[in-house]
Amino acid sequence: MKKFNEIFRAKSSGQLLIVAALAIAILIASTTMYVYELTEEKQAQKDGTIGDIVLAIKTGLRNTVISALANASKGGEKTVLAKNLETLSSAYRRVYQYGICQISHKLLNSSEYESGIKLSWTNIGLGISSAHVAFTLKIFDLTSNITVDDAVNVTTAIIVGGYYTVNGSNGTKRVSLTCHVLNEEKPAQAKNITIYYEGFGVWIPISDLSTIEWGNGTYNLSFTVANASDTVHVSVHLTDARSIFVMANATCSQA
Amino acid sequence: MSKRNSGQIRIIEAFLAIFIIFSAITISAGLTTKSTATENSNLASVGLQVLLQLDADGSLSAYIDAGDWSGMREALNLLLPVGVSFNLTVYNAEMRQINTETVSNGAFSGQEITLVEYVCASRNPEFRYYVVRLYLAVAK
Repeated sequence: MKKFNEIFRAKSSGQLLIVAALAIAILIASTTMYVYELTEEKQAQKDGTIGDIVLAIKTGLRNTVISALANASKGGEKTVLAKNLETLSSAYRRVYQYGICQISHKLLNSSEYESGIKLSWTNIGLGISSAHVAFTLKIFDLTSNITVDDAVNVTTAIIVGGYYTVNGSNGTKRVSLTCHVLNEEKPAQAKNITIYYEGFGVWIPISDLSTIEWGNGTYNLSFTVANASDTVHVSVHLTDARSIFVMANATCSQA
Repeated sequence: MSKRNSGQIRIIEAFLAIFIIFSAITISAGLTTKSTATENSNLASVGLQVLLQLDADGSLSAYIDAGDWSGMREALNLLLPVGVSFNLTVYNAEMRQINTETVSNGAFSGQEITLVEYVCASRNPEFRYYVVRLYLAVAK
């Protein structure tokens, strides 16, 4: 009987160990799984959020550059770009309290760009209004440190070329122009086109302008002028869909 | 002796049952919390994506500059997933509310609300920026 009891106790203690081990295993496994999944999820959410914030800031900077170029191309100060970027940076610092957000910008200054803006309106049928800003975005928080170096370039360009034909009956000239509009080297839409021609030393606006838009950034423009000289000097003033102004002068000869 | 042993086994079984129940409760509670947090985070991400989409071509600031609140409401209605309630408020740089009409597709009723805050820079030659607050909730 004593022997039987000892055997039974030994058997029970074995069962107890197995059950306890099972319980501990379940606890450890569930806790580990829970902690792991929660950490993974949090990391993915955080990466997504930071990515979205970076994209939002880049979009805001681009819109600010467009605004400043539209202003400067219409006679505003070129320093407006730096001023507006500073205003926007302070707004981001105030609103995005996700972590510490720092935006530093560098305006391009070269032979063509001044304070990040280039207005090159030539007499050979090419006009360029452009702005270029290089920026560094830093987002810090307790667990991550992200630095993004990028640049925003906004350019509106027009290429103008044309010729004229003489109307036999009254000697007036029918001028035909082709104007290509480009935004960042891609075909773009014009919001407004005004053409002037040079007559007696002054620029005279065209009143009978006929426009054909081909939908691919190409415009055919034609009008009649009363001009005695061999060539017709024209000036094309264009505002694109982003309100950026650009102009180009061209000389038309007889076809 | 046999009865005493059977009592011990009962106690062990009871403990085992408690452990199993406790584990089940812990896991299910964890999963519930996680799914709510994920839902809110996804909603915030969807809201931010929609605002980004509108801002990428300057439409967002164009609606605000023009005071076209009904146009903005329609745009948000189109871009946000079906079943998402929204309420949008626009503030100027001095944090004064400038939307004169309510930009919303219905009232929130007891749902968990997610806030998306967005800085919108205008493309207007006269530079302005706006702070857009978009409140979102999944309609139940």
